[in-house]
Amino acid sequence: MNSRLIHLTVNGKSHEVAVAPNAVLLHTLRDLGYTDVKNGCEIGECGACAVFLNGEAVNSCMVLAWQADHAEIVTNAGLGTMDKPHPIQEAFADAGAIQCGFCTPGMVISTKALLDRNPDPTEEEIREALSGNLCRCTGYGQIVEAVRLAAERLRRSSSSPASSLREAADDVTALGEQGPSQHEERGEPHSDARILPVSEQKEVR
Amino acid sequence: MMERVQPKPLPPHNLPELRQVGKPLRRVDALGKAVGATVYAADYSMPNMLHAKVLRSTVPSARITRLDVSKAHALPGVVCILTNEDAPNAKLNTDMPGQTGKKARSGSDAPVLAKDVVRYVGEPIALVAAESLALAEQALGLIEIDYDELPGVYSPEEALKPGAPILFEPDNAVARWKIRKGNLEAGMAEADVIVESTFKMPFLEHCYLEPDAGVGWVDEQGVINIRVATQVVEHFRSVARALGVPQNRIRIRGTMVGGGFGSKEDITVEIFLALLARVTGRPVKLVYTREEVFTSTAKRHPFTITHRTGVKRNGKITAAQINMIADSGAYPYLSPYVLLYATGMAAGPYKIDNLHVDSVAAATNRTFTSAFRGFGGPQAAVGYEQQMDEIAKALGMDPLAVRRANYMTTGDTTGTGQVIGSAVWPEECLTRAIAALGERTPDTPTRKIGRGFSSTFQSYGRITWFHDTSHAWVGIEMDGTVVIRCGVPDIGAGQSNSLCQIVAEILGVPLAQVTIYATDSAVTPLAGTSTATRQLYMSGNAVTMAADHVRKTLVGRAALEFGVSEEQVDLADARAFVKGDESTSIPFPDLVTKCAAEGLELAHLSQFNAPFTNGIDPETGQGDIWPDFTFGAQAVEVAIDLETGQIELLKSAACHDVGRAINKAAVIGQIAGGSHQGLGYALMEDHEFNGGVPRTTSFADYLIPTTVDFPTTEVIVLESGTGVGPFGAKGIGEPALTPAAPAVANAVADALGVRIPELPFTPKRVLEAIDKRRQKKDG
Amino acid sequence: MTLPAFEVLQPESLQEALAVLAANPRVHPVCGGTNLIVDVRAGKIHPETVVDLSRLDALRGITVSEDEIRIGAATPIAEIERNQTIRRCVPLLAACCKTFANTLIRNRATIGGNLVNAAPCADTAPALLVLDAQVELTSASGARWVPLEEFLVGAFQTTRRSDELLTTVRFPLPPANALGGFRKMGLRKISCMAKVDVAVYLELDDNGVCRKAHIALGAAAPVALRAEEAEEALKGQLLTAEAAVPAKQGLTGEPLVQKTIEEAARLTAESTLPRAGSEYKRQVVYGLTRRILTACAKGGNR
Repeated sequence: MNSRLIHLTVNGKSHEVAVAPNAVLLHTLRDLGYTDVKNGCEIGECGACAVFLNGEAVNSCMVLAWQADHAEIVTNAGLGTMDKPHPIQEAFADAGAIQCGFCTPGMVISTKALLDRNPDPTEEEIREALSGNLCRCTGYGQIVEAVRLAAERLRRSSSSPASSLREAADDVTALGEQGPSQHEERGEPHSDARILPVSEQKEVR
Repeated sequence: MMERVQPKPLPPHNLPELRQVGKPLRRVDALGKAVGATVYAADYSMPNMLHAKVLRSTVPSARITRLDVSKAHALPGVVCILTNEDAPNAKLNTDMPGQTGKKARSGSDAPVLAKDVVRYVGEPIALVAAESLALAEQALGLIEIDYDELPGVYSPEEALKPGAPILFEPDNAVARWKIRKGNLEAGMAEADVIVESTFKMPFLEHCYLEPDAGVGWVDEQGVINIRVATQVVEHFRSVARALGVPQNRIRIRGTMVGGGFGSKEDITVEIFLALLARVTGRPVKLVYTREEVFTSTAKRHPFTITHRTGVKRNGKITAAQINMIADSGAYPYLSPYVLLYATGMAAGPYKIDNLHVDSVAAATNRTFTSAFRGFGGPQAAVGYEQQMDEIAKALGMDPLAVRRANYMTTGDTTGTGQVIGSAVWPEECLTRAIAALGERTPDTPTRKIGRGFSSTFQSYGRITWFHDTSHAWVGIEMDGTVVIRCGVPDIGAGQSNSLCQIVAEILGVPLAQVTIYATDSAVTPLAGTSTATRQLYMSGNAVTMAADHVRKTLVGRAALEFGVSEEQVDLADARAFVKGDESTSIPFPDLVTKCAAEGLELAHLSQFNAPFTNGIDPETGQGDIWPDFTFGAQAVEVAIDLETGQIELLKSAACHDVGRAINKAAVIGQIAGGSHQGLGYALMEDHEFNGGVPRTTSFADYLIPTTVDFPTTEVIVLESGTGVGPFGAKGIGEPALTPAAPAVANAVADALGVRIPELPFTPKRVLEAIDKRRQKKDG
Repeated sequence: MTLPAFEVLQPESLQEALAVLAANPRVHPVCGGTNLIVDVRAGKIHPETVVDLSRLDALRGITVSEDEIRIGAATPIAEIERNQTIRRCVPLLAACCKTFANTLIRNRATIGGNLVNAAPCADTAPALLVLDAQVELTSASGARWVPLEEFLVGAFQTTRRSDELLTTVRFPLPPANALGGFRKMGLRKISCMAKVDVAVYLELDDNGVCRKAHIALGAAAPVALRAEEAEEALKGQLLTAEAAVPAKQGLTGEPLVQKTIEEAARLTAESTLPRAGSEYKRQVVYGLTRRILTACAKGGNR
């Protein structure tokens, strides 16, 4: 088996790497340092390894590295950083949609794939789009809320970028007032399933 | 349920309003995970690192007659191969992880590497370390092994028969518990009707998304370091014991865990890594494949539970006799304690004066069973909540009325005679869950609707005769930022965030100003296991104690500064101020500087102790077992497709009294997520065996719920404030799962008019039940 | 886990690919990889050389002409599902694609890959069977069209010669008033192997009488197969309750249609599944078939 130099552009960065013919893209990416791409099952059942390959969301465990030669790959870490998170990543963090976090990178990829095609999805469409991403922690409810929140924020910022900051602040105030607040009688809570958390950072802003 | 169910009014209780605790704040670990920056165990790499693989048994019961590693050794790039010969004394002390000073139960020690005999498919036999993963895998294939297959046992019933092949002398009964309370015969004699039922449930797999993984190395001080995804930092003790080194020469550095649910409570990769790192002198990495996770890590105990209950016509239970038999798999691990939990909670949240429980866990040649969220409690609930509905059916009574006739209240005793001091709100929870379902969906000719619910309780905090403790250190820096040091492993439920939120509240700093350093056995005070729904209770109380000390210093010094009494000072937004006169204030950096200059205590290490008890009576099972219990309920509506047998979950609602929610979003996530696992338990999960050979060893065969399978469980949170955790919190991690499967079981029975006695309710079982019912009607 | 060693050839054109196959009959074609990687990992196949077709744009795409639809073998399932013409003119195929594995797999798995793998539970097979699909098998020496039911001959067995590639799938463009449906039954709503697939395709005349009926089952037998007895039983029968028709067996309108449908569903179940041990599957087949036919009779669910 002879290795070959393949050329990958990952998150905008060029890589030339020698890989064997039986190498799988998931491992090639992780070996290059893109450990945000997770190995959950290696048979395309869990979606933890999802990346964009030439614009399509795919399980990187099902792609031979050589098949990705000259491809443009985007991983979750390429969408945003701690300092500048992508609105989808921020929405996941804000909506309580992250527990252990292992499924999150794949979920974000599938979410972006959905919202790029369908900026205003129904709940059914959201669930369908994420059907290839398993999560064992959350029961998916807050993940669906996160996608909805991300869609809303992306629609707002694309429609009027200038006012998005003010509107984002409004969205935070509104979120803060939902659900049991200091004004609510402790004795009679109502269903809390739709509460979205307030972002500490945004409050400071 | 014909009547409109009204939520039972809550007793008057007033929880003080808090600034940050209770709010659904963004968790401290959320953003790192969102952007893919958080590093998990398999993401670590070190220079000069080797890759390890484990050779595992492919047969369930055999003697190893030949093990030849020479060809594997000869492969260039293979650096080390270890078998039992190289580590004959290495044993897994699979009893009570993380606990000091107790003798191991005999027979509980699994060899780290099998010696002559293998007892389950997947049992570790040899370790390989090589320059690359591919080489390690290749080397594995070159190891030659011959087995002489031995007769085995493949069900607990088989295992307990006289003459059955024995896994460990003297017999296959790994553990037994019993409860003898009151007078069973008298109670049964009093009954108008006796109802008897048997329920069966299968092996389950945790299916956390992150396969077990770790990296081990020997540092410049000669200390063996293990970076590992674990629920138990204290495993350094077991690693030390296995290697024959002092306990203070092993360092466990736990990572953010990608899901554990009890399986990462056991020792998995740690001893393998320690052995290989020590022998090779190089860092070694070991990552399990998903198949390996299925075959070689813990499973949930299958149980068969028989209930025989005497009841009066008015629904009151006069006597209950419960028999439980569980499959312990090939090694005991935590079976004795899982069995204890199931036994202690066997009768449910009901007042039963005459109670006999007999339980046994039997060894079989199948994957070892150990901790899985609920730890026997969910299995018990599948039994008792279905039995309550069977009782209702036998009496022609409303199932809610039967429960009302028997519910415990605060101050009552459990089946083991333990008094429950906190709020006992099963009816409050259940009525709200039922009410949340709304109008019943009408039947169609091919779709039969069913509604069912369950009322459950689940302990939180560890068994009290383990004398559980937790430690935490809290300090404030010169710039007013706050540090927590705590050994707590974060397994995704927000363990570390809750501690930060509590400390933020007590010290009056924004959550963003609190940093936690966690999960390092060398430098963070030991906080015990992230298991048994104990971390919020134990470490939450520990940080509360520590933070209170620091708060006292700040408040005291500020009071002096302002010339007021301490009661008049409050802390918020990183300042101290006079209540009612916020302009009189001092920012923390200034206040802390003064305190530091005067040598006042700005940091504190606290130890929190759970109640220390001495065990239950071995004959009667009477005594205290746990610190407290969480009560909860779930109600579901299902639609059964009469032509295909498929069950569609239409609605699901759960209500739990969590005492006090520290982070509301996290509590909702725990309940929704735990519920989903329980729904999977009822409807699709089954880790099947062919004799001793596991058949479902991938996500393609073992099905867990996806986004489209179930609607999200609607979550109703009650806060009685009566828990023994911080701010009156109870625990929710495990309780969240417990009511789901029994609620579905009752809904399915409601729809079909007949009960399917075995989980999961596959379409085939549903159609068989429909057929059986039709035959019964016709015949 | 590292995959066992194999070589990968990446021809730049279909011609080159065919030349590779002609020269080495043992090469294993791969496109989306969703079968190959799983099978190699499981040790089901041990290819020495794999030929990558994923870069051959010539094999990808959907073309619609006056009387037929052609789909390139390398077209991902997701692309077929999203295609507006497929959704409008062949909704049963779109429905089939929507039940295929999950969203991520669909972006890679191809229709050609699904057919050449010929798993008993291959989801596209029953849908394409009722559409009277044919597959194009191309080699260096030429191309031939083969009806799908002749192509699929057994579990994981097709009539593809080792020097041939499946390059195109074609089927007649259904008339605007054609009806049909696809249902899959598995142990989970998505992303699982089918226990049973049922595909139905119907052409009714202006009086609501069935002129053409195709019913196919997947996952119920080693190969997807047509339920010919049921199809025969439906031909010439009234399937739209509204149309006026002389009373037959004392029934008119909806009860008559219902009876016809139930009979067809029964024949479907009984003729396709062996007697022994399939009671459960027979019940499911009956139910799914009845359901699709009923939906068709109501005019919806094309």
